[in-house]
Amino acid sequence: MVEARVAQLTGVYAVSALGRGADAQLAGVLAGVPAFGPVRRFDTAARRVTVAATVPEVGTLPDELAAAIDEACRAAGLDREGRTGCALLLAVHGGPATGPAPAVLAGQLAARCGLSGHTRVYTSACVSASTAVADAAAQITRGDVERVVVAAGYLVEPDQFALFDAGRALAVDGAVRPFSAGRRGLLLGDGVAAVVLESSSGRRRGGADPVATVAGWGRAGDAFHPCQPEPGGSGLARAVGGALRRAGLTPQAVGYVNANATGTAQSDAAEAAALRRALGGHATEVPVSSTKSVHGHALEASGLLELVVTALALRHGELPVNAGWRGPDEACPLNVITTAPRRTTATHALTLNAAFGGANTALLVGVG
Amino acid sequence: MAGVPGFVHSDFAPVVVAVAERCLRRGYGTQQVPPEVRTGIVLVSASGDLASARHVRATVEAGGRVGPLFFFQSVPNSVAGHIAARWGLRGPVVCLSPTGDPYTDGVAEADLLRDDGDADEVLLILIEQAPDGPTEAVAVLLGGGARP
Repeated sequence: MVEARVAQLTGVYAVSALGRGADAQLAGVLAGVPAFGPVRRFDTAARRVTVAATVPEVGTLPDELAAAIDEACRAAGLDREGRTGCALLLAVHGGPATGPAPAVLAGQLAARCGLSGHTRVYTSACVSASTAVADAAAQITRGDVERVVVAAGYLVEPDQFALFDAGRALAVDGAVRPFSAGRRGLLLGDGVAAVVLESSSGRRRGGADPVATVAGWGRAGDAFHPCQPEPGGSGLARAVGGALRRAGLTPQAVGYVNANATGTAQSDAAEAAALRRALGGHATEVPVSSTKSVHGHALEASGLLELVVTALALRHGELPVNAGWRGPDEACPLNVITTAPRRTTATHALTLNAAFGGANTALLVGVG
Repeated sequence: MAGVPGFVHSDFAPVVVAVAERCLRRGYGTQQVPPEVRTGIVLVSASGDLASARHVRATVEAGGRVGPLFFFQSVPNSVAGHIAARWGLRGPVVCLSPTGDPYTDGVAEADLLRDDGDADEVLLILIEQAPDGPTEAVAVLLGGGARP
């Protein structure tokens, strides 16, 4: 019998305000200390909110992305020869920016890092990176490619900051409190990440042991509103259902959820409804947290940063705390990890993302 | 061209909606897509909403405050969500900046979504907003679910 192809995460790397590298991300989310502080990168005097989670002494986005790709490839034991023919899926903000256009950036990164396969650039707002991972896993499991690098980056900059401030989306109390009573909104954060996904059937000599597998994935739309989530969570629930179905698992197999939860009143409640709809009674039992509470919302890069921390935490056997907790909200009846990291022997975890346009993704990570 | 409620300043959203509606009307008349059909949206654009982004850049550069509606139209997902809500499109929403021929990129993504099983059909929209020229767009429905 031919063994089914599985998409494995063989190399991961990330930079956020928690620090540089995979170890720093894991240590940061387990410490549970929010990394928000005054923005010094640009003038915020005209803004209602003046804090974000930024990396000190950060490079340009192209340089940070190139370094992240190199580090992820190194972690995967992927030398220059091994990168030949490797695809690059990139998640960044679309449209005009101060740096190179997204397609130009993808080409430059592929050339710098020796990735000579096809490139694709995702500009789907906050599901950009997670959609790229789902697509990469799909391409690997159906046998199109042996390996894919997914990279994503957002560095807090004045235009998006001004837009989120104008939309009153930022938390005026300077804290992100996912699923909590008294939550006031989100805060932005730097995030640059890269992962190497490889087919289980294409294991290389000298290749690294996989960090985790992307066992399942799902993408679905709300069909509800340009920028508000469907209150019943129907689209996100279908994305979770798709991830479970692809993995061949029941809801009870999910031992942790790294929620999309941004700390926004309506969105967090809709996500809780989605979990109830998708996981049934298990939704009130499975440990849940949102690591955005410590590293902030990295927009187009959020899905990849959160995949990295979810995989690392699951492999490590400790689940991140949900910072900023003030008390339960009856609209979010979940088992939120509120005080300290929780030890686990679970083998599977979900990481969820949602975006404007009613776009939803679910990635199901497996270890062991 | 008719405006789109909630979208201001730029013809990006009105043009996307215009081509999408013409395309969907051919397949579904004035009705919503039946709930059993999962229609994805793949929106491909190198420029994005150039007019809005330039307005935001100039306003921020001048130290001003942008209007709140610009937040809600700050990503191409928003107009895709408008179309999805009007027509009942429950498949994935994916926006791409093309790295090759835009149509080829879009079809490849649409094929992947359909083959992978998250979409029965895909509304592919290509749109480019030139700095000093007309905004051009095209929409095509790829695949085909349970058409009435």
